[in-house]
Amino acid sequence: MILTPNIVARLVAIIVAGVLLQLGFFSQVALFHVSPDVLPALVVALGLLGGSMAGAVSGFSAGLLLDCLLIAPLGGGSLVLLATGYLAGLFRERFEIHSPLVPPLLCMVLTLFAELGFGAVELMLGIDAPVSTLVIRDILLKSIFAFFAGWAIYVGLRRALRPALVEEPALRRSRRPTVLGA
Amino acid sequence: MYRKQVRRRRAVLALLIVGSFALLTVTYGQGSDGMQRGVSAIFSPVQSVLDRALKPARDLVNWFDETFDAKGRNARLQSELEEARRQAVGAKAALAENAQLRKLVELDESGAIPSGYEPVSGRVIARSPTVWFADVVIDAGSGDGVEVGDPVVDGDGLVGSIAAVAGGSAKVTLIVDHSSAVSAKIVPNGAQGVLKPSVGDPGDLILEYLNSERRVGKGQSVVTSGWRGEGIESSYPPNLPIGEVAEASIVEQEAQAQVHVRPYADLRDLDIVQVLTGGSRG
Repeated sequence: MILTPNIVARLVAIIVAGVLLQLGFFSQVALFHVSPDVLPALVVALGLLGGSMAGAVSGFSAGLLLDCLLIAPLGGGSLVLLATGYLAGLFRERFEIHSPLVPPLLCMVLTLFAELGFGAVELMLGIDAPVSTLVIRDILLKSIFAFFAGWAIYVGLRRALRPALVEEPALRRSRRPTVLGA
Repeated sequence: MYRKQVRRRRAVLALLIVGSFALLTVTYGQGSDGMQRGVSAIFSPVQSVLDRALKPARDLVNWFDETFDAKGRNARLQSELEEARRQAVGAKAALAENAQLRKLVELDESGAIPSGYEPVSGRVIARSPTVWFADVVIDAGSGDGVEVGDPVVDGDGLVGSIAAVAGGSAKVTLIVDHSSAVSAKIVPNGAQGVLKPSVGDPGDLILEYLNSERRVGKGQSVVTSGWRGEGIESSYPPNLPIGEVAEASIVEQEAQAQVHVRPYADLRDLDIVQVLTGGSRG
């Protein structure tokens, strides 16, 4: 990803808007009693488009803003989303993305990873109550939602960040050369 | 050149990881610090506007979810309605008796909100996205007189308590958060215990450490006990409605001294809540 001031501003706006929408909209709606969590999908899409560093920095920033706005202990969200974004970026650097299904599938898998990561951080800090098995259902449903949200987010971000993408294929096929006299 | 780039990337990654752990270590258990207050102050108005703007869209999505749910609930609600009608007749007699007793002991007749508490209304403007935390952020903060530890209720009953406060917003830890523990009693039975959540299931609370000699039945109401000891007291005032006993098997009561409680408040769909400020803390 080619980082110009314009692109950095777009990235900041995307992360802030993503966190605000998550807290103000997605966390407060329920589909099958579960609220979608689009932040891991957003960070995965940024990692896939920008690479491991862009993914890690985006994840860290999104997590930090999330913790600040939730008035929660800082660092937990940053750590989990940083790892999520980094892994997505690493995938992009190691493998070719041949199928359009890869980004949404990766969003699904890494959302599962992020939700388990949030749980691991919480376990690390101590949980004093029994954990219901419904947690597993919630996490799996969140991952499935992330598949669909991830597809839309990836397509949208690709369009928004197009000027900065190095490997973006040309939109139009080059015109055939005109043969004079043919 | 490539090696230098790799080294720089590793350094940035290490810095971010160390930064995350440092932040976690420094801020855990200390509530809100200056940075959070600042960020919260900047984004609170934006969140408030966004919350109002997105309410129709949220209601639309939630309508679909509730429609699926409503079909199954209909039959259960019909039977509950019949039961509630029967209980209402008994409740009127109990209320009359209660009023007489209150006069006798010269207690305040304030009703749902205990005396000495000043209710402050707040709108939920953010909610934790993961299943592991049951926190919401409301648009009332220290500027409105809200303090850490204040109980939070909605029209149905107890919702949680204030865990952290900023100028114009406050974090409410719901009673279904894993860190929550509410001293509660069953009425009219009088059995007391500690109400703890079942993480990930907002419709199920567990009332533990019950006195096994007092048998608890399904459908009995659970309220805050609001105990007072020498120098210490519960953060919740007494008799705030919490929920009703949803499952009370004899085996579970005898073996584990616990019953399952369903909260009255719909903790998945909170909108307007009231913070009971003031009180006798301190």
